[in-house]
Amino acid sequence: MATMPEHVPETMSRARARRPDHIPEQYVHEIDMYALEGIEQGYHEAWKNIPRPDMPDLIWTPFTGGHWIATNGDTVREIYSDPTRFSSEVIFLPKEAGEKYEMVPTRMDPPEHTPYRKALDKGLSLAQIRKVESKVREVAVDLIDSFVGRGECDFSAEYANVFPVRVFMALADLPESDVPTLSRFAKMMTRPEGNTPEEMAKHLEEGNKGFFAYVEPIIQARRGKEGEDLITVMVNAEINGERITHDKALGLISLLLLGGLDTVVNFLSFMMIHLAKNPQVVEELRADPLKLMRSAEEMFRRFPVVSEARMVAKDQEFRGIDLKRGDMILLPTALHGLDETLNDDPWRVNLERRGISHSTFGGGPHRCAGLHLARMEVIVTIEEWLKRIPSFAMKQGAQPIYHSGIVAAVDNVPLIWSER
Amino acid sequence: MPIINVVTRTGEARLVDAAEGISVMEAIRDAGIDELLALCGGCCSCATCHVYIREEFEHRLTARSDDENDLLDSSDHRNARSRLACQLIVNADMKGLELTIAPED
Repeated sequence: MATMPEHVPETMSRARARRPDHIPEQYVHEIDMYALEGIEQGYHEAWKNIPRPDMPDLIWTPFTGGHWIATNGDTVREIYSDPTRFSSEVIFLPKEAGEKYEMVPTRMDPPEHTPYRKALDKGLSLAQIRKVESKVREVAVDLIDSFVGRGECDFSAEYANVFPVRVFMALADLPESDVPTLSRFAKMMTRPEGNTPEEMAKHLEEGNKGFFAYVEPIIQARRGKEGEDLITVMVNAEINGERITHDKALGLISLLLLGGLDTVVNFLSFMMIHLAKNPQVVEELRADPLKLMRSAEEMFRRFPVVSEARMVAKDQEFRGIDLKRGDMILLPTALHGLDETLNDDPWRVNLERRGISHSTFGGGPHRCAGLHLARMEVIVTIEEWLKRIPSFAMKQGAQPIYHSGIVAAVDNVPLIWSER
Repeated sequence: MPIINVVTRTGEARLVDAAEGISVMEAIRDAGIDELLALCGGCCSCATCHVYIREEFEHRLTARSDDENDLLDSSDHRNARSRLACQLIVNADMKGLELTIAPED
């Protein structure tokens, strides 16, 4: 997953789409979602460099197959919330790649989507997740104990890339030895390589096929069996009174793996970089256990990692802009949590903040089904980390490496602390 | 300022001053009743401010949104009187509202 890229895209060699006739030239800005300008300085910083006060709610880029980009939080939220105007028929960019994406039910709109979502929720509800808290805690403690005595670690490689994945493999009852393979497939889908939409589509399709081939025998083996693990619960779920079909089960179980393997992983590293540089926030977290638990939402607001898209469902005028059915709109969730009109002083992690506004989990019918698990993983990480490593800092001269895409990534996060 | 009657998980009855315009969740939290975790701070994404509203007050409240409904479904303790306190904005009509904090999931 968050390894060094084999290939760094360069704007010069990136394919540009022709501007369709219904899009006036003043909306055009050259933004490459997979190679944001200024990404060396940070992923969130790079996104926030784009909006200008006089900018329309949507702008259009010729890169990545040509697509719109929502430029503020209110627009991101509205588009997520209304599947009748903004469909999930295609959600990954470039659109050519998104058409190869076969996960279930992320590309369905209601009402088709609803029963599949209920099946996911059954396994990931708050009540279910609370039952696995001790397991989650055990994984966190094991990992931290493995390096605490050393006084330093690469947080990204030694904790963030391992913890959520180990938790997830335990919940799904899958062997940890399969993690590198699955992480590679996830990366092929969320940060596909290539300079043209066709090359990226091919890469994404390979990742998707990799997931399907991996889950195929697992689904066969767990059909009709008793079991509490996430996969057994879901492959035996009923959809409109009938057992879920094999094709749909492939997509549903693969989605679980994709969602669980690439998101919290990267979120945790972004959060820890910030905490390492802001000891006063760490002190606040240490001083009040309840405040610590309630801090997760502010962290979600401050460090969004996902930028998915929606497809315009019908020709329409939206906020004064002509949209045609099939146009794609990228929704960078970073531009919601960090929108200063919705969250005052947005760069500051403010544990007293009221009325937190973000789309870090998306919104509308497709809002992240794993949000209860994600929240618990974040809380448990902060709790167990601070119990063992009450204060820590970035190693001097450290340069984290940032990547943008459907899911943002960061690696090289060396932290240091006093040995005890 | 409307006063809300809150029954905690231990069965203790508390009177809570609730300023109009804030959420019932905030009113309960600000009164120092920490068992209402309200982890997400009111953005309707965690289901940890789950309360039961006494039946006769239901018609005074706004209807549940889809998000609220889905989140309530994720609790093992949902019933017909379940609401998320963060989604109930205090108004003059809520004077004397009676609610019980739902068991923790």
